Amino acid sequence: MNLFFFLMSILYGIVKFLHIDFVPFTYQGVPIGLWIAYFIVAVVEVVLVFALSMVAVIIIIYVFRKYMADVQNRIGPNRVGIWGTLQLIADVFKLIQKQDIIPTSADRTAFRVAPYIVFTPVILGFILIPFGNVSILNLMVVNFNYTILFLIAFMTIAPLGEIIGGLASHNKFSLFGALRSAAQDMGFEVPMLLSLVSVIVLAGSYSAYDIVTAQRYIPFIVPEILGFIVFFLAMIGRQSIPPFDLPESGSELVSGFSTEYSGMRYGIFYMGNFGFMALSAFVVAVIYLGGWEGPIFPGTVWLVIKGMVFIFIFLLSWISLGRVRIDHLLQMGWKYLLPLSVINLLISAGIALYLGGLF
Amino acid sequence: MMGRIQFPSTGGRGTDMEDKVIEVNFGPQHPSTHGVLRIKVKLDGEIIVDAQPVIGYLHRNAEKLAEMGAYPKGMIYIDRLDYVAALNMELGYVLAVENLMDVQVPERALWIRQMMVELNREASHLIWLGTHGLDMGMLTPFFYCFRERERILRIFDEITGSRLLYNYFAIGGVYSDITPKAIDMIKEWTEDFGTKLEEIQSILGKSYIYVSRTKGVGTLSAEDVLSYGVTGPMQRASGIKRDLRKDSPYLFYDKVNFDVPYRTEGDVYARFLVRIEEMRQSIKIVKQVLEKLPQGDFYNKKYSKPMLVRLKATGESYVPTESPKGEFGIHLIGDGSSIPYRVRIRSPSFANLSSIPTMLKGYKIADLTAAVSSIDPVFGEVDR
Repeated sequence: MNLFFFLMSILYGIVKFLHIDFVPFTYQGVPIGLWIAYFIVAVVEVVLVFALSMVAVIIIIYVFRKYMADVQNRIGPNRVGIWGTLQLIADVFKLIQKQDIIPTSADRTAFRVAPYIVFTPVILGFILIPFGNVSILNLMVVNFNYTILFLIAFMTIAPLGEIIGGLASHNKFSLFGALRSAAQDMGFEVPMLLSLVSVIVLAGSYSAYDIVTAQRYIPFIVPEILGFIVFFLAMIGRQSIPPFDLPESGSELVSGFSTEYSGMRYGIFYMGNFGFMALSAFVVAVIYLGGWEGPIFPGTVWLVIKGMVFIFIFLLSWISLGRVRIDHLLQMGWKYLLPLSVINLLISAGIALYLGGLF
Repeated sequence: MMGRIQFPSTGGRGTDMEDKVIEVNFGPQHPSTHGVLRIKVKLDGEIIVDAQPVIGYLHRNAEKLAEMGAYPKGMIYIDRLDYVAALNMELGYVLAVENLMDVQVPERALWIRQMMVELNREASHLIWLGTHGLDMGMLTPFFYCFRERERILRIFDEITGSRLLYNYFAIGGVYSDITPKAIDMIKEWTEDFGTKLEEIQSILGKSYIYVSRTKGVGTLSAEDVLSYGVTGPMQRASGIKRDLRKDSPYLFYDKVNFDVPYRTEGDVYARFLVRIEEMRQSIKIVKQVLEKLPQGDFYNKKYSKPMLVRLKATGESYVPTESPKGEFGIHLIGDGSSIPYRVRIRSPSFANLSSIPTMLKGYKIADLTAAVSSIDPVFGEVDR
């Protein structure tokens, strides 16, 4: 049962309990009071998901900064709030105060829109993550048959914002950043989708919910270790974090696609990146580690634990690795990841054919 | 509606689609140029067609300023040449002046100088290692390097009273003696710096990404090195085993035991290995100096401070020294007055930078930062 209907029925129950009489006309055969209830539930859920994803982003940025500081013999944020927990809030307020600088020769519309193209799909992606299964209630906002495809679609849109922002800035370094972003996305997109297809073949469904329930005995990481490696590397690549941070390229291309961005627009890029990190960690956990499945603890706890493990691996790679060169990266994508994912697809097709009952 | 997306122009040379080569200015304000280097790069996609270094953004007239005051007053300008290895710069000047005037220096002062110079070489190489890591996209080694450098700077602070620009070597000796506390600090440092260096080296050298990005990149052959006058670790990485500390020993370098690391590949990775090995050898030298440090005066009483400004000299002198960047020396000409007639600085980074076009042609943009940072240029010294 869906979270939506659950909240809906609670609301409806409250309405019935209080004996509130609605205006007695209907729209499309449904009483107007029910429509209002639907609307309220939808708003509540959107706010919940937004708050949840923002909290996830805030926690990740804090953990990242503390963890990175620890590795690098520094203290990290420790002034604002207890142990510096409110540093990000202070930073956001600082960034909002900054002057919004748009280069005169930039394409103003595209320049303004680009950060939101990175940020919005990431937040939307959280709608489709199945966060757990408490008896009859499944904690996902939307559940339909093609959730995993929509998830991947959202994750594909986000890097597009980097390309648009880079091209719109009218700066040569931004242009190189944008071109690199495009090349990198092409290199990782195909292997990622192919390894996703093999998961879909095994689970026999496009729904994230079904993919998780198919892993109640064996998580997909076991039969699809190749696919997992490919998908995981592709996920690091799609987030553009080191070692695959070519669109930004730290000191090399000044700051890549975001060279001309400052103030809150840059902040939105930044938050979008960390949101993307959380989203991709959850997606990997759902697809390959069996999402909420696990003994003793409730499902949501398991998903969060698995997601946090991946987030820490992402952070560790961010902290400890250097940047690969563009030709090495493309070679990796097309020469190694693509054949690996095809082999993985063949293997999982064989498993689905002969050992289909396992999943 | 989305607006029109404009491509950056190519500087008035035809439209973008017709002309594939675009010209990009790396610097002078660019995070990976180690100061104010500007490189005019012509790019065909990601590939460098041509690269020309443009310098002069940090010109401070050091030579002329040094020619305007008495001999000891030149020191403060020489200090600010290679500001991350100021003692090495001072040494070049002080040796040149002492050679010009036939000044006798007490043994203890010479040993102290040798130790301080080696410590400063370590500090300079640590900065190089950290920023090189940054240019390769790694943030973490930077902090490790600066943590270690901080210990060396604390030692300098204890001995000289300054952390960056010391003005410590004086004509006829050094300005202050080493304190017992400083000796303890140095001993402690020599004991565990080796393992720390190992740790920092493993972050870079054991990383497949780093090795694959630096092997075969920015190659300079032995002929290139000789024709450009490239010296120092870059030269030794290209297969020419020339270290002035061995070849024309000054101070007491002939009395300590150390090796000259060299490699034949001539690429960025070879320079990395040569510099790391040099740091190991420097620890060895510092250890030996601590053992051999004699008692006695730390400066020649004949050249006490009020005397210094009245020093007069005639003739020429040039003492080549091995600074962290390469051959550094000062050509002094005295005309019999108390002011030097000419102070000509032979700066290694300047010559090393001239190899940029050869080093970069045909490589990718990502190799530009790797190759430029492997030169280890410091612009105080390049522009003078």
